[in-house]
Amino acid sequence: MAQTAITPQGKIYPPTNWKTWLGVAPFFIFAILFLFLPSLRLFTASFTDPEGNFTLNNIIQLFSEKYIVDAYKLSIQISAVTALGGGILGFLLAYSVTVGGLPKSLRSILITFSGVASNFAGVPLAFAFVATIGRQGFMTHILRDYFGMDIYEAGFNLYSFAGLSLVYMYFQFPLMVLIMAPALDGLKKEWREAAENLGASTAQYWLKVAMPVLLPSILGAMILLFGNAFGAYATAYALTGGRIGVVTIQIGAQIRGDVLYNPGLGYAMAIGMVVIMAISLAGYSWLQAKTERWLK
Amino acid sequence: MAYLSISKVTKQFGDTVVVDNFNLDIEKGEFVSFLGPSGCGKTTTLRMVAGFELPTSGQIFLDGVDITDKSPNQRNVGMIFQSYALFPNMTVEQNIGFGLTVRKLEKDVIKQRVDEMVRLIHLEKHAHKYPYQLSGGQQQRVSLARALANRPQVLLLDEPLSALDAKIRVSLRSEIRAIQKSLGITAIFVTHDQEEALSISDRIVVMNVGEMEQVGTPFEIYNFPKTRFVANFVGSLNTAEAQVLDPANGLLTMDGIQLQTHEGIIGKKKGDKVTFAIRPERFSFVAEGKKENLLEGTVINITFLGSVVRIQMQIGNSTFNMDTFNRPSLELPKIGEKCQVTCSTKAVLILEG
Ligand SMILES: Nc1ncnc2c1ncn2[C@@H]1O[C@H](COP(=O)(O)OP(=O)(O)O)[C@@H](O)[C@H]1O
Ligand SMILES: [Mg+2]
Repeated sequence: MAQTAITPQGKIYPPTNWKTWLGVAPFFIFAILFLFLPSLRLFTASFTDPEGNFTLNNIIQLFSEKYIVDAYKLSIQISAVTALGGGILGFLLAYSVTVGGLPKSLRSILITFSGVASNFAGVPLAFAFVATIGRQGFMTHILRDYFGMDIYEAGFNLYSFAGLSLVYMYFQFPLMVLIMAPALDGLKKEWREAAENLGASTAQYWLKVAMPVLLPSILGAMILLFGNAFGAYATAYALTGGRIGVVTIQIGAQIRGDVLYNPGLGYAMAIGMVVIMAISLAGYSWLQAKTERWLK
Repeated sequence: MAYLSISKVTKQFGDTVVVDNFNLDIEKGEFVSFLGPSGCGKTTTLRMVAGFELPTSGQIFLDGVDITDKSPNQRNVGMIFQSYALFPNMTVEQNIGFGLTVRKLEKDVIKQRVDEMVRLIHLEKHAHKYPYQLSGGQQQRVSLARALANRPQVLLLDEPLSALDAKIRVSLRSEIRAIQKSLGITAIFVTHDQEEALSISDRIVVMNVGEMEQVGTPFEIYNFPKTRFVANFVGSLNTAEAQVLDPANGLLTMDGIQLQTHEGIIGKKKGDKVTFAIRPERFSFVAEGKKENLLEGTVINITFLGSVVRIQMQIGNSTFNMDTFNRPSLELPKIGEKCQVTCSTKAVLILEG
């Protein structure tokens, strides 16, 4: 009679029943159709020449063609610069509305703004910057006509590396704010008080407790920012029309084929990107897991 | 002057007075508890001693030095938090050594003192673990060791056991008391748990909405509560109103029933209303030949509390609890029956206010 002791639930939903998997099926179908199959296609295509034969040429070109290597260098530079700049600015802003003790209302304004701005990229963002500090932008005019400051005379150019970095910063720092605000909230008031009580100065507290606790989050967030900038395409394209050859733009050129046309090479470059992004994300989750374990 | 002296200290947050004219002298090596319900100002008082809050008025002296305005890191006062507040990025050893490291002591001095502390709290096997790898009780012991490593002049403990399971709570409190005694350190222990305060303190300060209700040894607080608040908060006292019949001879009447106190009632005249209290365990069933404090009641309820049986009964218009030991030979009345109980004249306590 011992068998009858199985719970009613156990009888109706044995764990191996196919029905159990029904609920998550849409997710798996979606993942297969839009993640796994395209990745597979990307992978096979990068080993295929325009005639459809197997080749290692595309991968070799990744490392030998100067303009491709330069594109990666440029992308890495712009991603690093904007991750660092946006990271520092975002951290300081997040600090000031959490630990810094600015009014609560300011905090919710900043968080809401960040939620919107971190997703504000592509053509609208490029256009907003052109209209503001482009050659004929209204801020450019105001600065020139009322303050006697001609920023383009002074060497600024929106359609340059610096200009593109500035535009990227606009979605970079809000992302940092969104990631760091909860991390800063996680710093317990008692840690600060315990440190003070044990004789530590404010500087010693930050150096020995707060920073080490935050560091994985900060580094992790910056890696995410790096990947965020690395993958951006529409913003760069809309702003510079392809004159600044970051990787995404070069891939676009290979696949669309106005001047260059070699989809296989484009796919190989995309594989290169996927590798860089995967490394970034792995680094991010490793650091995130480290902090979460501490803060459990 | 006492070792730690809290003198006429008042603390206001905005218009709210949270601590009102707090006066307390603590001797070196004494273990004092602040006991009171949540929100009565215990933590605030403790935080003023630690330097995290500034008194609105009044002064605090430690070993003859006025420390009222000193910043927390300038006083040598150890604090233990309810939430342990261990640094999550440091191992047990690093946590314990933190205070010594920031004070830039020599490496081997730190090492020696940390080892000593790790042994004191019996965590030798866990010295290299991080806080998240320890149980709550272990974490609180680390926090104790961390505070003690600095050799503080006073140890402040703010409900250090509240977050722990009942069993650990009891064992850790004796451990804390034993360590405090062996080091001879002066300690203030904040709790809202009367049993905890009674079991480990040299002296208890009972607090109620920012004021000190009574200061005394656990024996005094338990057996001779001065106010209705203390009587109700510490143990489960029966309290009721009565009229003074004969102040000089300590005679009261409650709903026509006569009660005899041990001493005369000071400052009252015949006909005055007073509040009196009787502990449940001071009642007993009537034995032959007893003349004073014979009370007849009706049994309302009987509850088994393990080693004790609590009998709830109506006497006059008031409800009283009587506790009696749960012996196998115990003969209990039935619910609804009448029974006669009594208590000694010393058990009838007259309360102020
Ligand atoms: N920083 C503060 N600002 C305003 N009110 C406070 C502050 N800290 C404590 N209080 C108030 O002071 C009262 C006493 O608090 P506390 O000392 O924490 O009580 P306890 O530790 O006895 O529970 C409470 O009513 C609390 O709300
Ligand atoms: Mg408290």
